[in-house]
Amino acid sequence: MDESKKRLVQRLMRKIPTKMLKTTLEKWGRLTGEQQRAMDSIQSKWALTENLLAICEENELAVKHLTELEMIYMIDNPDQGMWYAFQLTDPGDDAQSVDLTQFKEQFKSHLRELVREVSIKIKKHTDEAVWIRIAWGDASSHPDHLKPTYVVHYLQTPYVFVTRLTSKQKPMLSQAMVLSTRYQYFKDANLSGRNLTAIRDLLMRKYQQVFPTKYPSPLTERKQTVTNPHVEREQAKPAANRLQMACEAFGGGTLPQLQSAVYKLETKFRDHTNTLMTEREEPFRCVVKFSSTNLLESLKNCASSGIASTPVTPLLSSIPLKGKNYFVITDNGPGPSSQMRQTQN
Amino acid sequence: MERHQNSVMRTPLNSVAVQRRSKNKSYRLSYRNRIGAASRLGLTPGLTARRLNTSRKAPKSNKITVTTEQLTLLVKTEWKLSYVTPLYRFRHTQLKIYSRQLSAFIAAEKQQGLAVDVEGTQNTFRVSFSLVLGMTESVDDAVTVHIQIHSKPLFAKQDEPQKPVWSGWLTCINGNPEYLRSLPKDFICLPLFCSSGAGGLTSLVKSWFQQSFDCCFGPLEISHTSLQWLMALWTNCQSESSIRQLKMIWTLPVEPQLQVTYTVDAEDAWELWSSVRKKNTAGEGEENSIDIEEVMSFMQGLKAHFFRHFRLDLSAGSLNEVSTALGSAKHSGMIKFSNSKYMITTLMLLTECALLKMPI
Repeated sequence: MDESKKRLVQRLMRKIPTKMLKTTLEKWGRLTGEQQRAMDSIQSKWALTENLLAICEENELAVKHLTELEMIYMIDNPDQGMWYAFQLTDPGDDAQSVDLTQFKEQFKSHLRELVREVSIKIKKHTDEAVWIRIAWGDASSHPDHLKPTYVVHYLQTPYVFVTRLTSKQKPMLSQAMVLSTRYQYFKDANLSGRNLTAIRDLLMRKYQQVFPTKYPSPLTERKQTVTNPHVEREQAKPAANRLQMACEAFGGGTLPQLQSAVYKLETKFRDHTNTLMTEREEPFRCVVKFSSTNLLESLKNCASSGIASTPVTPLLSSIPLKGKNYFVITDNGPGPSSQMRQTQN
Repeated sequence: MERHQNSVMRTPLNSVAVQRRSKNKSYRLSYRNRIGAASRLGLTPGLTARRLNTSRKAPKSNKITVTTEQLTLLVKTEWKLSYVTPLYRFRHTQLKIYSRQLSAFIAAEKQQGLAVDVEGTQNTFRVSFSLVLGMTESVDDAVTVHIQIHSKPLFAKQDEPQKPVWSGWLTCINGNPEYLRSLPKDFICLPLFCSSGAGGLTSLVKSWFQQSFDCCFGPLEISHTSLQWLMALWTNCQSESSIRQLKMIWTLPVEPQLQVTYTVDAEDAWELWSSVRKKNTAGEGEENSIDIEEVMSFMQGLKAHFFRHFRLDLSAGSLNEVSTALGSAKHSGMIKFSNSKYMITTLMLLTECALLKMPI
């Protein structure tokens, strides 16, 4: 078996954990019953790899079959690696009427025109998502299957999620997407994270949202702690208000798991007790990064516990509102990649 | 009192039972026992009432006279800090003997199976003690002592040289002269202990020191105030050599824990710092000293700017780490000097912190 196929199999076996192997291979469906049973009985990863290499020889499997296996695994386990969100803007008149077959044909032909050697695989997943696997090559080399780019596009929405993409590959992907979906621009949505499901839910609002209400909140505090009854009575209303506003800003129930948010501040220094600095013309440049295992949950707790003042500042509530986690904040008008207007305190 | 062959000299807890041939009665008691007898001996009662200095001289790019090769031993490594009580009868002239004694001690402990195995090294260790000259600030400071432990990596060939697997140093920079002069004659004060390397070796070295010089080690954390001082002192150096950025890492007590990394551009941090400085009241050619109020205003300004944007009060959390191009300091007691130029001022602050931890 040639080197590149062997390396691909080895890479796949390293990526797929043993416990997921059985189901993934079954879904793949390219093993005979006997071969499948043989794989199930082996425990060690190394032996499994050797066995799979032998099976590939036996069944005369090609690279395209192996990439199929990789794609099956990725689709079932999308919450790994880094995903970056992009948005298509300025739809043409017929953008809404693009259907799956049209999109597939057009995307493949456009990308093939732009990149001489490229291997494209498109699969539609059950939940309206179109998964695309791209292995890039160029005039002098075959497609590199060890460094593929995965693209997930939800038809009928302008959202596209992409894994690794070099600066050389970006314009080509951008062009192909724009032409096949009939939009004008393919822009960076300033949202990134490890969980595809999380950033998708955030961008497409698929999480429990809480709307402002004038009446006593029906939401109850999830954690019941034992406190002094006097304190409880006194704090009940302010605590309920804080919780309500925290949920309005970030959502109720389980929140999408984001790991970090970065704010590049280029605003003037703000502190009325320091006249020297406030008179300064130049901005006070700093970068603030918030990180946590579940950022939105942390921020919501900051708001409900009072560490962050409520109502929650637009800078923080923009994360779920605009579905972004990278912001450039300037004093006057929209910055180059943000639409934030700094409120005057 | 002569030293006998055994290198391990234990001072008995009950001093009355032992007859020492020392002329002066007060030297009978070891330093550790003085804790109980403090009132009788009248040792520096004022130290416990002392606080961290509220004003300091601005750091200058010192013309350090330490040799470059010794400097490379100290910079660019992250050190774990501990404080150590004064050493009884530690002699700077007996370093070779100490090297042999410590090697033997480590070998003995390993044989007994008590020591923790150091990963990836063979069992033979060679210890070297050396003096680091040129680092002291005042006449009363004892000379810095540097210790290095070498060993061969696990699968090394016969003739491959040993590599350093652990280093540590004891130092006292600009220690409080009142305190230093009040110590009895036989005590050497090197309160700041920095170590880097396997934890097992660190505990062995500490045990040996405890047995040989009757001292105590303890963890030295860098308090919030000290971290603020470091922020201000380092930012103050911006006019002479760029700090590149001032980075602070805070953690907020929410579930799940939220970490905030607040990085300010060097120039902007410098401008804010200059704006909170009081007018220069020092004489000609003298550097104005920095007061704690200025440091706190600096911090307040940074927090206020943050609050104006995020309406999140950083005081609710704790400051864990401060770093600039000159070095980094962690609340848990880790320090790193990236640049030797302003090292001395940082060490002065840390020596002060260590001295404040002295039991008496």
